Amino acid sequence: MKTKKIIAGIMSLAVAGALAGCGGGSSNTAPAQATTQAPADTAAPTVEEQEAGAVTTAGEQVTAAETNENISLSISWWGGDSRHEATQKALDAFTAAHPNITIEPQFGAWSGWEEKMSTAFYAGTAPDVNQVNWNWLYNFSGDGSIFADISALADFDTSQYDPVALKQCTVANKLQAIPVSMTGRIFYWNKSTFEKAGIDTPKSLADLLAAGETFKTVLGDDYYPLAVGEYDRMILMTLYLESKYGKEWVKDNTTLNYTVEEIADGMAFIDSLEDAHVIPSIATITGDGADSLDKNPKWMEGKYAGIFEWDSSASKYEGALNEGQEFMVGEYFPDMGETHGGFAKVSLGFSICETSQHKAEAAQLLNFMLNEAEGVEIMGSERGIPLSKSALSLCKEKGILNPTVAEANAKVLTWVSFGLDPNYENAKLKNAPDGVYQDAFGGLSFDEYDVNKAAQVLYDGVTAVLSGQA
Amino acid sequence: MENSKKGGTTAPTKLQVFYRRNYGGLFILIWLVGFLIFRLYPFISSFYYSFTDFHLFKGVTQTGLMNYKQIFSDPKITGPLLTTFKYVIMTVPLKLVFALFIAYILNYKIKGVALFRTVYYIPSILGGSVAIAVLWKALFAQQGLINSALALFGIAGKNWLAEKDSALFIITLLRVWQFGSAMVLFLAALKNVPPELYEAALIDGASRAKQFISITVPLITPIVFYNLITQMCQAFQEFNGPFIITQGGPRGATTLFSLLIYNRAFKAFEMGMASAEAWVLFVIVMVLSIISFLSQKYWVYYGDER
Repeated sequence: MKTKKIIAGIMSLAVAGALAGCGGGSSNTAPAQATTQAPADTAAPTVEEQEAGAVTTAGEQVTAAETNENISLSISWWGGDSRHEATQKALDAFTAAHPNITIEPQFGAWSGWEEKMSTAFYAGTAPDVNQVNWNWLYNFSGDGSIFADISALADFDTSQYDPVALKQCTVANKLQAIPVSMTGRIFYWNKSTFEKAGIDTPKSLADLLAAGETFKTVLGDDYYPLAVGEYDRMILMTLYLESKYGKEWVKDNTTLNYTVEEIADGMAFIDSLEDAHVIPSIATITGDGADSLDKNPKWMEGKYAGIFEWDSSASKYEGALNEGQEFMVGEYFPDMGETHGGFAKVSLGFSICETSQHKAEAAQLLNFMLNEAEGVEIMGSERGIPLSKSALSLCKEKGILNPTVAEANAKVLTWVSFGLDPNYENAKLKNAPDGVYQDAFGGLSFDEYDVNKAAQVLYDGVTAVLSGQA
Repeated sequence: MENSKKGGTTAPTKLQVFYRRNYGGLFILIWLVGFLIFRLYPFISSFYYSFTDFHLFKGVTQTGLMNYKQIFSDPKITGPLLTTFKYVIMTVPLKLVFALFIAYILNYKIKGVALFRTVYYIPSILGGSVAIAVLWKALFAQQGLINSALALFGIAGKNWLAEKDSALFIITLLRVWQFGSAMVLFLAALKNVPPELYEAALIDGASRAKQFISITVPLITPIVFYNLITQMCQAFQEFNGPFIITQGGPRGATTLFSLLIYNRAFKAFEMGMASAEAWVLFVIVMVLSIISFLSQKYWVYYGDER
């Protein structure tokens, strides 16, 4: 009987422990609220906090302490090998300058990264500093509970940033991330394949449409001047519609600015590209068996001679090409419409978690990586063309910007007229295999939908997401 | 006290007695704690969440049966459910028949049989891995090895990954290819069939096929049953293949239910709905297992039964 009671006791303790351990959702919001409210109605700081200078009175910014106390900071990011190496070097340089701070890095490829980080944010176990996607601020911390207000941290110099860019990262009245770079989509061409076809790279939509037939007759059925997946098609259609109709895709972040008929026009445009052998069908791209276009043998060999990609991704696609292929940044097409359509968005940023015990030191680290000469020189343009004025000027002076990325970024920022609504990349719209974009453009390409049906699917899906009913 | 004097030792304390009687419990404590935290708690909490609209970052705003109602009425959910049934119906019989066929061959005394047994088991070790799934994708790509091999014989290959039926078939094939564990069990069962039964049947003039159907199959039905249950449970939970090879495409043709649950939970963060879907899958597997167990008395032969 006693044994049973003991076992019951152990079980109760274990269940209680499990419940406590799994209650991350509430535990990570509690400190968040406390910290968020700190400047306004903070409780009396402890002696240790006062000595460390970590807590300030109302309205003041938090600064890092001049202390020799050993501090451990963690940081996470995703990316490719070159980004990993550069970031690790920058972290080494930072710890050399701050010997009392130890850094624990966590990094990996993008695949599966969002799933991993989302659960960590929810559980309150995410690192102190995190590379974040712009829409994460809205998806994970729309109420401001996950990420700290960086404007309250004096060790980070926000004056280096354009207020408009900072505003894009201000959610729930908190500067939840520092935008590292801005990015937009632009055409890139494999010049060698176009030369092989005997034509120049497209300078207009008419050139592009004509190139489809030339590729087919001169080079063969396997050759296409451009390759775009479902999400690429959505962005390309947005560029087309915004250029033609002169209005942004979503108005005031709340209302879809296009009618079903107008969207059907955009769908017809995409359909015409497939019909004119400009782009391969979704089935063809799927059949290639590659996870992404940069890993697709047809891109590497030059059979797909163009992409419509983020300016910050240029080096990835350029590096994937087989030897002897010449990669170049394309132009926007003036004959798409009277307006300079397209959008630029914050490509990625860095956030500090509300759960971090060392926010001021985390801000110091970010400032080192993004604003200070030593860190900036190591990081270069690994995360796109820096938005920080000091970083940009140093990179230009030292000539350490990737010329292709710099050219593409300049073209994007010069051309595009619109911003991006935070729901554009909502999981319900974007994610494979059942996102709305996948459904609409996949259905059109697989001939399951005509342009009107595809437009209706897209219209209904986007409207539902914007109204919060999806 | 008297006893201790007689024995020359002191009487054990109550604590010592308790320890001696129960120290075995310590050995299972680690497992028990793990079970409670990682099995029982999620099991119970997911059941609760299945009746809520729990979103990882928005919390719970609504409770009720709405998730279950949606599961059986939303084509985006019933579609993957039907696809999962289709996958199980294709995979389990194919795998069992193939495993039995290979086991039957390997049961003969042929030269190098140990090597063959090892070789045929290797896919079971490798099959569930990410690397093999990636290899599978490369094999069945439009310009992959399969189509290249077919081209040598003048046969035009298919766009395996982009056509709905062939994409599901490829995922099925990956699971069938991992027939090693079922094969080993069949092999053990075949070895236990008394040879004198075959001798008697041979004397009576029974053909090989007749011997197989009338002697071999009835005697190995317990293993057939075991393999059926385990393979069915595994097939209903298949994830790696569609996740890596097709990501559920083309047009949702390989979106199995486990992939749907994963996407719902970790991409859309709708934990309430994901929990409800997981419970529906659990109930389906449980009901089919119960039906299988109940059907045993009609077709499974246990040697100790009268």
